Formats: sequence, structure tokens, C-alpha cells
Amino acid sequence: MLSVMKKFVNKVFRNLFRKKSVLKIGLYGPPNGGKTTLANRICMDWLGEEMGVASPIEHETREVQVKEQINIKSGNREISFSLVDTPGIATKIDYENFVRKGLSEDEAKQRAKEATKGVIDAIKWLDNMDVVIVVLDATRDPYSQVNITIIGNLAARDIPVLIVGNKVDIRKADVKKIKAAFPQYDVLGISAKKGTSIEEFYEALFVLAG
Amino acid sequence: MPHQCVRCNSFYQDGSEVILKGCSCGARLFFYVKQESIDNAKRMNARLSDRDKQQIEQDVLDLVGVEDDEPVVLDLETIRVTRPGKFELDLVQLFNNENPLVYKLDEGKYVIDVPETFLRREAFKKAQLKKQS
Repeated sequence: MLSVMKKFVNKVFRNLFRKKSVLKIGLYGPPNGGKTTLANRICMDWLGEEMGVASPIEHETREVQVKEQINIKSGNREISFSLVDTPGIATKIDYENFVRKGLSEDEAKQRAKEATKGVIDAIKWLDNMDVVIVVLDATRDPYSQVNITIIGNLAARDIPVLIVGNKVDIRKADVKKIKAAFPQYDVLGISAKKGTSIEEFYEALFVLAG
Repeated sequence: MPHQCVRCNSFYQDGSEVILKGCSCGARLFFYVKQESIDNAKRMNARLSDRDKQQIEQDVLDLVGVEDDEPVVLDLETIRVTRPGKFELDLVQLFNNENPLVYKLDEGKYVIDVPETFLRREAFKKAQLKKQS
């Protein structure tokens, strides 16, 4: 909690001296962590419409998606921001994985190319972000090169981070393992699909971006 | 060290004007081939069908997003295209905006995305300023 307060103070201090445009909150993480499902949950809760299409096939989101002007209210507090849903970041993209999921070879190769471009674009957008939510699949091992690289680079850029361990509705989800992997960060277990702990998630957003 | 035109396979030496202006066949994409691995590169190249080579060239140009920009070739790599539809990404290099964006097409064959590299450097400078403010 101390680190959240420190980031909050830093953020307020920084904003005092900087003319701020619209606050940008980015959803980052490996493919199939649930970034788009969380984006849809936020948009449905506060705008009444979905943001993108979530799919069990990896790299469904291959272009950066932006939803402008989302207002979140809690009591007399309110924050307004743009939500940026990014393509999943991966070290290897192989069309054969998509073929195994039922895509034709041509479709799979096209998807692989677009997914690669998506990774480049997601990284390019990082410097525009004010706050980043790293969405990890809590059923998977958090000690991956992708996770460590993303989170390490956010720290290097001094961007406030909230790590979300998604899919806690699945029995083998292990949020404690994510906390152990990234002890210096605030980690929150949620289920974007079922809405589990979503209120706590919004509270954390208020602290981080408010 | 030689550079090979991706379209007509002609070889050009370092400093050749062709590298800057484009090949006589009209292509502006060159493979960088290390002298010591040139035989290996030829073998690797031979394993790819003409269709694969064309596909890799097209994929990389699509990723770069330019059709007729002048290439610069460096011995670095951030994205490796092993076969059409198979990509390996070096995230550490990709996150480091100070480094150029370089595609490795095959052993000793690289292309660098010049416009994107400049954009990344600008973004890096802005981020540094943002961090300092």
C-alpha cells in the first residue's frame, strides 16, 4: 500500500507542473490474459457498451483500441480517462498455433503478421500512457520473460502500475504466486468475466489515477 | 560485406551507391550478408521456396509500413522472421527505444525500419523529458 501512496503523491506532484491532456490508462500483458475482457467489463459498467471482441484464440486484439472519455464515479469522487486496450505482447508468434485452433493457413499467417505488428504498436504506445494495468492470467506461471520485461520497462519509465491477476474464477488461479513474483507492486485478483472483485479494482484505479 | 537484393539476388559491396538508391531491378530491400556466413546464408536461402521468400519480403514491408523507403542495414535484430508466419520478437530490444527496429529475415539478412526508428527515438526523448518534468 505504501508504494501506491508513493506513486499517488508522485503523480499529483507531477500533474501540478504539467499541463495534462486526457489521462490515458493502458491495458498491457501477454496474449489471452483477459485485457479485452477487462476493457469490456469497464466499458459495460460505465458506458453501457463493449470495447472489443474477446476470443479463446490468442492475438484476437491485433490493433490498439482506444475508448475515450470514460468517467468512473464513487461517492463524490470521479475520474475521467481514455482506456487503451493493446494487443498481447509475446516473444514468439507462430501461425501454426492458429492453424491448430482451426484457422486456415492463409488466415493464420495473416494473423501472425498482424499480431507481430500489434506487439510493435503496443510497445510504441507505452510512452503515451499515464497509468498501466498489467493483466496477467492468474492460472499461468507469472515468471515469464514477457511479464518480467513489460513490468521492468514500466518501472524504468516511471509509469504507475497495477497488476491484475485475472481469471480467479478458475480453480487453479494463484494470485499469491503473482504477488510473490512481483512483490514491489500492488497485485489484485479479479475475474473480469464474472465481475469478481471488480469494485476493489475500481478503488485501486481511483488511488492510482485519481 | 555484401548486400543481396531480395528481388533479383544481385550482390553489392559495402558503400555501393545502389544500396542507397535502390537496385536496377527496382527493389529497395536488401539482405545484409556477413562475409563469414555467406555460404550458410545461401544454404538457408535455398531452403526457402520462392513463394516463401516473396512472402517474407512482403510481410516485412507490410510490417514496416513503407513501400519505397531507402533501407539501411545493420547487424542487430529485434524481429526474426524464420518462415512466413513465424516471428520471434526480442522484447528487450523492442522496448528499448534507443535501438533501431531491425528485422532479421534469415542468417545474415536484415532490414532496418528507418522511419519507425526515428519515431521511436523521438518517443524516447519525449518520454525522457516527461520523466524529468
